[in-house]
Amino acid sequence: MNDHISFLIEKLPALLFGFSGQRPGGLFLSLILAVLAVAAGFCLAVPVSGAERSRWRPLRWCAVAYVEFFRGIPLILLLVLVHQGVGGVRFGLNWSPRTSAMVALALYSSAYQAEILRAGLAAVPQELVESARLMGSRPRQVYFLVKLRYAIRVMLPAFTGQAISLFKDTSVVVVIGVAEVMTVARMALGADVTNAPYWVTMYSFVGILYFALAFTLSRLSQRWERRSRPSDLVHSYFSY
Amino acid sequence: MTPNWLTPDLLNLLLQGLLLTVVLTAVTAALALILGVAAGTMRISGNRFAAGLAVLHVETHRNLPALVLMIIWAFALPNLFPAELRRSIFFDNAFLNWLNSWSGLSLPYYTLAAGVALVLNTSAYLAELFRAGVGAIPQQHVDAARTLGASRLKLFWTVLLPQGLRTSFPAISTRLIHHLKNTALAAFVATPEFFHSAQTAITRTFLALEFLMLAAIVYLLLAFAFSGLLRWVEKQWLVAGG
Repeated sequence: MNDHISFLIEKLPALLFGFSGQRPGGLFLSLILAVLAVAAGFCLAVPVSGAERSRWRPLRWCAVAYVEFFRGIPLILLLVLVHQGVGGVRFGLNWSPRTSAMVALALYSSAYQAEILRAGLAAVPQELVESARLMGSRPRQVYFLVKLRYAIRVMLPAFTGQAISLFKDTSVVVVIGVAEVMTVARMALGADVTNAPYWVTMYSFVGILYFALAFTLSRLSQRWERRSRPSDLVHSYFSY
Repeated sequence: MTPNWLTPDLLNLLLQGLLLTVVLTAVTAALALILGVAAGTMRISGNRFAAGLAVLHVETHRNLPALVLMIIWAFALPNLFPAELRRSIFFDNAFLNWLNSWSGLSLPYYTLAAGVALVLNTSAYLAELFRAGVGAIPQQHVDAARTLGASRLKLFWTVLLPQGLRTSFPAISTRLIHHLKNTALAAFVATPEFFHSAQTAITRTFLALEFLMLAAIVYLLLAFAFSGLLRWVEKQWLVAGG
């Protein structure tokens, strides 16, 4: 028992922050990857969800194809596709695993966020849009200040759920060897046969790390949602 | 018809992987649905012990990444045992040898472990969805069944199960399609399913983009076919039969 604990304590700094010389890594890198991918994914999702509601058919088809493609293939396949297929030597890109992971996670997340945004935009009450127009807002103002804001607030539970799910999905980047917590755990165990008894301890501990973060985040978001319920939304727009 | 990089032996390899993906998805999805409904029912059963057990299952397996679960079951668990015992429990016994000769899997334990991890992971999500579906059943239906003197078991089979499944089925379908994509993670724990065969083909030919795009198209087609099947099931058994 004691040797298991001392093994974990010895590897703990690497698990949390990466091996020295490869920082940031470990769990910290998993979090960075998730946050950056959600942010970049959102920036992609706004135009894609706009295109999905476009009146021009070819544009709408392209947006639908984009969403269906990135939502329809497994993340593990998308990661390898971006790293070996697109970012590899063939096109002279030679992306580092970290860059490939960022690109793949952002594309993956953007497709899910575009679907959420589309549902949110469809739920915007028409009278809200019309009153904004009556006030003399320009189309761009109506879109960004009324429609998009309403959609984001009404779909907030879906967005936080997607973000937490993406954080758990960052574990998959181990296939292309980004130095996040799963890869660190794998490298810390190595091919050393004497480490075999520590496998369960190590991966259970990694599981506990993921659990602690994911569980805390989902509880926090639930509490937050209860405080700002969408039913108060229209009211809050008129009481500005 | 086929491009020249897709030689017959590679095509054969990919088809074998595809078969395992389909079988793995079908078996684990069915088991996950059963376990999920069971856990969801336990949670609303009113028995505190059963409800606590269900909450523990749901929270554990929803908050752990599927890949971590798979590695724990496939790679970490056998390492708990000393070498001799490990061999006889996980790799060389009558059941596994029978599975090997029957299915042609060289190391059936890894596939089993991946399957167990997939079932646990997906059933945790399905339990919550089913519970939400039962929560949406009109109270009058339950009251009516009770007034007519239905036992708890009868109430479950005739009201809670069919109506709960019907209301939650769209969400369950979405999760099951996600489950289909999650089976690709099993490639990481040495399960020779479709994505694993695609990777093997790449190491033999160095044609990464071709095989990965082919794999992407196959997964897209699988997802469309599966969602069509689920829609058919919904229409056939849950809406018309109700």
